[in-house]
Amino acid sequence: MVSKAYLLSVFSIWHIQNIVLAGIILLILGLLVYMLSYMYFKSVYDKKFDKWSLISDLLIRKAVFYDDEEESEGDSAIPVTARAEKLMDNKHFRKLLINEIMSAKRSITGISADNLKHLYVQLGLDKYALGNLSSGRWYIRAKAIQELTIMSMHEFVDQLCLYADDKNDLVRMEAQSALIQFNGFDGLHFLDTVTYPISNWQQIKLLQQLSHLPPANIDMTQWFKSDNSSVIIFTLKLARIYQRFDLYYDIVSCLDHPDPLVRYEAIHCLNEIYTDETSDDFISRFLGEILKNQLAMIKVMETVGTEKDVLFLLDLLNHENDEIKIGAARALVQSNKDGMVSLEKYSKESNDSINEIVMHIKGEVAA
Amino acid sequence: MKILVAEDDQLMIKMLEFRLKKDGHDVVITNDGRAAVQKLDDFQPDLVITDIMMPYLSGLEVVSAVKKRYPTGTPVIILSGMGQENVVLEAFQLGADDYMTKPFSPNELSVRVRRFEAPLVK
Repeated sequence: MVSKAYLLSVFSIWHIQNIVLAGIILLILGLLVYMLSYMYFKSVYDKKFDKWSLISDLLIRKAVFYDDEEESEGDSAIPVTARAEKLMDNKHFRKLLINEIMSAKRSITGISADNLKHLYVQLGLDKYALGNLSSGRWYIRAKAIQELTIMSMHEFVDQLCLYADDKNDLVRMEAQSALIQFNGFDGLHFLDTVTYPISNWQQIKLLQQLSHLPPANIDMTQWFKSDNSSVIIFTLKLARIYQRFDLYYDIVSCLDHPDPLVRYEAIHCLNEIYTDETSDDFISRFLGEILKNQLAMIKVMETVGTEKDVLFLLDLLNHENDEIKIGAARALVQSNKDGMVSLEKYSKESNDSINEIVMHIKGEVAA
Repeated sequence: MKILVAEDDQLMIKMLEFRLKKDGHDVVITNDGRAAVQKLDDFQPDLVITDIMMPYLSGLEVVSAVKKRYPTGTPVIILSGMGQENVVLEAFQLGADDYMTKPFSPNELSVRVRRFEAPLVK
């Protein structure tokens, strides 16, 4: 006789199995519906996207080769179809078109590039970019600045100025690059007021942009007095690259700056812009410097050192730090023609460790 | 004039194709250096326009291949975003006949292409 309890347990297992099975079937059905609807919407979107791409390509082609077209005569507006104009209200189409216009603008110059700008303005895309400048989202602001820069919208340079000290670093970078793009060296006047740090990467980028421009003798003295250390560092780089000898005393004044990074850049700068007083400026500050800057000073003394610095450098051969000793020996040999003689003479009167350094430097000179 | 274009940027391809065809040239487009070299025998171009940075074979390798195959003829114009002196020099040393850096003017390209057309007319 099968017990009631046994029957109940069999029924309950059967019941649970059915529920699980039904769940799995529902899940599979759900996935199927999801996949089918995804594929359907994707294909609808792809078709739409292809159509938009075609419209966008035609618009760009029309603009790029506008001067060749017969219809250009007597009419300054680039012909735009009613359908394309209607699509301007669609933000997805606008995004696609703007990306294509920007990409084309990056690749071409001359009348064709001017025509692309013409099309961009004619379609009112500049107004959208201007609106995006005041967006709360940083990436929209940055993209808008980039867009206006690529499209050479010089007329909006005053608006872009406002973002050169934006709280977001990428927005700042785009705005600062835009100012250089539009105003050349004069664009650097954002340094008068910038409070946020200019990253090393941004400094490289700005210098790279400036390298394509003819040098300009702009007034940089006020930037040496900036409260923003990165502004002083960048100014020192500019002074070094553009050989601004007129700024010599401003550069030397940076050797007393509280920020060691500024002092380091000043030392580096004095390797290019120096006088016969430069080594004295180093010697008088040497003891108060951090090791990294002491080593930099000794390295620069290879270039700026003279006979009068021999005693100072010989004295450094007894320094507790080996890098300083080797650097001093190297500077001694490189900075004056009798340096090796002085070094050898000194080593004869000194201990073994100095002899080893002398041998090392001799090896370097021989190589 | 039969022009073989090697370029991997789709927008550039569209612009180049449109411009060159509009100027009355017979244009064949390839999307990479290897395809351009493979097309040389079939198409027998009068001029090759090539980018430098491309998949499989670079534009410089395309220049070498063209000059190896046609030592006396078939000029090559490089159209590249790379304007560094060493790259330009290398291109000319390999036998490139002209070098244009991007961004470029399509009108200027058109005139430069026409320059290579003249000997054919003669």
